[in-house]
Amino acid sequence: MIDREPGPEPDEPGELVAETRRLVVGYRGKPLLPAFDLALRRGTVWLVVGRNGSGKSTFVRTLLGLTAPVAGRVIRRPRLRMSYVPQASDLDGALPVRGGDVAVWGRLRGWGFLRPWLSNADIDAQRAALADIDAAALERTRFSEMSGGQRQRVLLAQMLASRAELVVLDEPTAAMDGTSERAAYRRLRELVAERRMTAVVVTHAVAVAAPFADHIALFDPDDPSIEGGRVRTGAAAEVARDPRFEDFFGKVHAGTATGARA
Amino acid sequence: MIHHVLAVLDAATPGAGPGNDDLSDVAAAISADPGGSAAHTGALVHPGAAGHVDTLDTQPSWHDFRQGWAMYREAVFSGGIAGLTLGFMAVYVVLRRMVFVSAAVTQAAGLGVAASFWISLQLGVALDPAWGATAMALGTAVVLAGDPRRWGLSREMMLGIAFALTAGAAVLIGSRIPQETGDIQAILFGNAVVVSAGDMHHLLWTSVGVMILQLWWFRGFSFASFDAVSARVQGLPVRLLDVILLLSVGVVVGEVARALGAMPAFAMSTLPGMAALLLVRGPLWATFAVASLIGAAAGVGGYLLAYREQFSVGPAQAVTAVGLVVVAALIHAAVGLAIRLVRWRRRAA
Repeated sequence: MIDREPGPEPDEPGELVAETRRLVVGYRGKPLLPAFDLALRRGTVWLVVGRNGSGKSTFVRTLLGLTAPVAGRVIRRPRLRMSYVPQASDLDGALPVRGGDVAVWGRLRGWGFLRPWLSNADIDAQRAALADIDAAALERTRFSEMSGGQRQRVLLAQMLASRAELVVLDEPTAAMDGTSERAAYRRLRELVAERRMTAVVVTHAVAVAAPFADHIALFDPDDPSIEGGRVRTGAAAEVARDPRFEDFFGKVHAGTATGARA
Repeated sequence: MIHHVLAVLDAATPGAGPGNDDLSDVAAAISADPGGSAAHTGALVHPGAAGHVDTLDTQPSWHDFRQGWAMYREAVFSGGIAGLTLGFMAVYVVLRRMVFVSAAVTQAAGLGVAASFWISLQLGVALDPAWGATAMALGTAVVLAGDPRRWGLSREMMLGIAFALTAGAAVLIGSRIPQETGDIQAILFGNAVVVSAGDMHHLLWTSVGVMILQLWWFRGFSFASFDAVSARVQGLPVRLLDVILLLSVGVVVGEVARALGAMPAFAMSTLPGMAALLLVRGPLWATFAVASLIGAAAGVGGYLLAYREQFSVGPAQAVTAVGLVVVAALIHAAVGLAIRLVRWRRRAA
């Protein structure tokens, strides 16, 4: 079923960068969730939450065009610049790269690699991105010698260097302590506002992330009340009051730190 | 052509005994044939096949080597060229966990050589083993570049099948053409004492072409190799880059397997990458550059070791590459220890 909070649009003048229409995600034609609609607008942060195996990663892959939908559509603005931030642990820790190397990968797009050298603009963007997340000192640090949190910051710098309009982050704070997590989400919130980009964050750290989110998508394939499960989408504060959400994550203060967007 | 060179060696070393497959044989031939006519025959000598060439009683000297340089030159240069190119790609092979891919592709190249001999003998069609090696290596690379999940297989399953099939088939085909078994064994294990100028030029131009592409598209290959999902999201043609990378490995391995042997081809397409990863702490390009140099050192150094110690060339190149990995590991450990010591002293102060 589709369960969507009515009328967030009047509060969200941001341009639509992508949307899903009757989207069904899954593998090999097997749906994981019922059809649902989403509207991703500039300057907003979406949290995608749910239990393990609820289809969060499959949704992200579908949104990014890496996996075909089982049914329905993902509509992206033409020439939409997207960026994906994997978990730090997804990258081989033995990679012989330095922070600057990883950050500057964000500048590569399409067939841009046909130009074999970095431009001054690439180098400037790389340094600015690292500086933006207080990671300038990591430019010459080897990836293998970084802590999990430092690696994650370098990957965030790659995202910033890409100047993407739609960014998807997979557990971006998985390797951080509580204080660093809050700081990271606060900075992400600020960057989304400054750069007018759209962030879709898959996370289990719901209590930490929810205050910085505008919207939440709760993937609940096991909802006992509805056959086939349920996708609950809407304003963060509304979804956080959903009984099933509270069952999973407890009482959470959602959407309370989104003032930077105003 | 092979027989022509063997004839030169036979003529140069009357009364030869069996079982010698080292460079002293050639040193003997060169001594007796100072004009080095065998060097220009465009042939590949496999001392294991020669078998009936005599060995010098004394250890060959560097003076002999310089005297016979005209004969050794192509083989030494080929070792260096192969090491430079395969060493560069070894970084991808190691970091992408493709070591077994390299093994399967080199085995396929060996099968290509054996199949070429068999077709030439059985069907009377003259087929250049170099083309057979390259075609089989490329074919295997293409198969391995595919998505095995389409057939319900994992990548490891595909690799196992490819390796077992190519290795087994090479031996089976070899058993059907006993008169060429020596040559096939020599190519599989790499006893290339002399490399023809033609083979060297073939290898050189293939390597130049592959390296131009590798350097030109370096940013794309590295991003697509090490962070494929992000690269796809950012619109890079990751699948195409993967296929081209595998084909690059395949075509160079095919050439090297034909010119030097499958064993050194495998060693040089894996071990220099490991050594460079242990040694280099600088930027990404430095790791590739050092891997190339280590590969070249293994190719040339292995040949010189084989000459000096009267070993077979291919195994000597492989062992030299392993030795360089060991040296790199020792340096890595020593540097790590020194860094910890400095930090400990700083903390103590």
